[in-house]
Amino acid sequence: MLTIEVENLVKCYGDIRAVDGISFQVAKGEVYGMLGPNGAGKTTTVEIIEGLRQADSGRVSVMGMDVTKAPDKIKQRIGIQLQAPALLPLLRVEEVLDTFTGFYRNSLPVDELLEMLALQESRKVLAKNLSGGQQQRLSVAMALVNDPEIAFLDEPTTGLDPQSRRGLWTVIEDMRHKGKTVFLTTHYMEEAEHLCDRVAIIDHGKIIASGSPQELITNYFEERAIQFEMDPPPPRAVLQGFPGTTNVAINVNEVVIYSKNIPTTMSAILKFAEKEELTSQLKDLHVRQATLEDVFLKLTGRKIRE
Amino acid sequence: MKAFNKLLIASFKQFFRDRTALFFTFAFPLLFMLIFGLVFSGGGNISYDIGLVNNDDSATSTGITQAIEQVPLFKISEGNLEEKMAELESGDLRAVIVIPKDTESRLILGETADITVYYDPTQTTSAQIILSALSEVIDEVNQQLTQQPVLLQLVEESTLSKQLRDIDFLVPGILAMSVLFLGLFGGLPIVEWREKQVLKRLGATPIRRSTVISSQVAYRLVLAVLQTVIIIAIAYFAFDTQILGNWLVLLGLVILGTLTFVSLGYLAVSRARTSEGAIPIVQLIQFPMLFLSGVFFPVEILPDFMRPIVAALPLTYLGDAFRQVMVDATPLYPLGIDIAVLAGWLVICMVLTIRFFRWE
Repeated sequence: MLTIEVENLVKCYGDIRAVDGISFQVAKGEVYGMLGPNGAGKTTTVEIIEGLRQADSGRVSVMGMDVTKAPDKIKQRIGIQLQAPALLPLLRVEEVLDTFTGFYRNSLPVDELLEMLALQESRKVLAKNLSGGQQQRLSVAMALVNDPEIAFLDEPTTGLDPQSRRGLWTVIEDMRHKGKTVFLTTHYMEEAEHLCDRVAIIDHGKIIASGSPQELITNYFEERAIQFEMDPPPPRAVLQGFPGTTNVAINVNEVVIYSKNIPTTMSAILKFAEKEELTSQLKDLHVRQATLEDVFLKLTGRKIRE
Repeated sequence: MKAFNKLLIASFKQFFRDRTALFFTFAFPLLFMLIFGLVFSGGGNISYDIGLVNNDDSATSTGITQAIEQVPLFKISEGNLEEKMAELESGDLRAVIVIPKDTESRLILGETADITVYYDPTQTTSAQIILSALSEVIDEVNQQLTQQPVLLQLVEESTLSKQLRDIDFLVPGILAMSVLFLGLFGGLPIVEWREKQVLKRLGATPIRRSTVISSQVAYRLVLAVLQTVIIIAIAYFAFDTQILGNWLVLLGLVILGTLTFVSLGYLAVSRARTSEGAIPIVQLIQFPMLFLSGVFFPVEILPDFMRPIVAALPLTYLGDAFRQVMVDATPLYPLGIDIAVLAGWLVICMVLTIRFFRWE
């Protein structure tokens, strides 16, 4: 059953087409990820779906309702986390949540929310005195106040320490178990790979690839990645001439070669390195499975966090 | 209603944790009043230095002189005209009373004698008090001279008998100033909410925009009433200023004034993106308004060409209305006009705010 349907969405700011004809669907109970670099159009897209912005054209339906016609009905049943935490600085954590419970017909008990986001110990702390990670968790808790059917989380783990990030992943997984839908934007590829049932990769306002993380990786990569560092890096032409090589990415001293034939490519690299030993050192050579990061790199020629 | 209440409670919790806001809402008007009160009250009743020039050496003029000297408000010094006029001009005297040369002989002939008063019209407050006290004395003397039985007597609970002092004029001014500040600065939290995306965050919930705004306005109204109570209490206990008028009318005026200035405050910052940008706009309205509307000193001081500005400012009318209701002062305008002008400003500001206000 589809819970979000987006058709041919367009939003322009001046001459810039921030969202340039996006269409996709999200099924109920899915964790759906939207990946892309800053400025790709993720937030604009999400905010149109949430009813916070108006599209120039296109159609969005959420739980079967047109978002422009029934925004309040939809907002009762969805939870929204914005990138900026937007807290009231002089309220305590529990007061912020209690205030928000007043905005919804149905809401979860504040204690339950505090427990879900591991905020019990800071419940009496004023919002302005929270650490960045705590603010981020409170901001997610605010999105879950009404026990939403769809939670929209806009880069929820940005700025979190690894432990808090794992904690938040658990929260999202729990939501999936309860049959809820989560719409996630992130630029952490490993997060998307770990959490998302399906992802869409978005760049310059367009979806350039979509599918489950595994599908994307196998669709775009029969090959695997050989990664190493060399200072200075070898010329691109040389790298592309190695047998088995399908694609090459160079980022400063870091080189990634995608190869369908690891042994032959590898021996070419080693021969080259031996020859150049005096001018350039080969470091940190390893072979790995391609990741979503590689898919993004291959599709756009850029790393996602440049 | 639940959302309205929760937001209102949240606003008060934040307010009572915000020392700066507490200071400017409660301590600042009180400090203002204490300083002005101490400057003006001088530890007791005020008296005015009056010069008296008696040009008629007669029993009648001596009688008049004695009657004038008995007014507790006056401190009389006698002398000749040039001397006394010089003192008036230098500000040592508030007024000079001149009894003409042939007062007694004219009165015997049944003619009128003119007692002349010179005063500085820029000192409106004191001039008004002196003139009304003086005319009361002259009336009494007149009656004794003509020996006519008093048929109709005006029993006067005049401001004079209540000893209307500068502090009594000042208290309504301070109240008007406080309502102005509370209202005008009411827009600033909204700018902060806009800047920090709190408005956007609220917009992501089902709460209505009208609920957000009305809870903010209700919060301001409650603060305004609290502030009024405190100011009046201090005025009463520290300076013995009595409220003469109707309390309900006063409450109504506080509410109307707060609504008017809140809507002006919202209009002023309807497009401001940051607090840094909004504060100068508010101050640009606040200071001229404070100085040009006669809240702290009489508008008569101002040059004529500024009068239309004075007559346009809403604070002029709020101050005037407060004075009438609180200390029964001479009105600049009838109370109905004061209320109508304030209501007019309220409606115009509201319409323009709705037209120009940016949520994000």
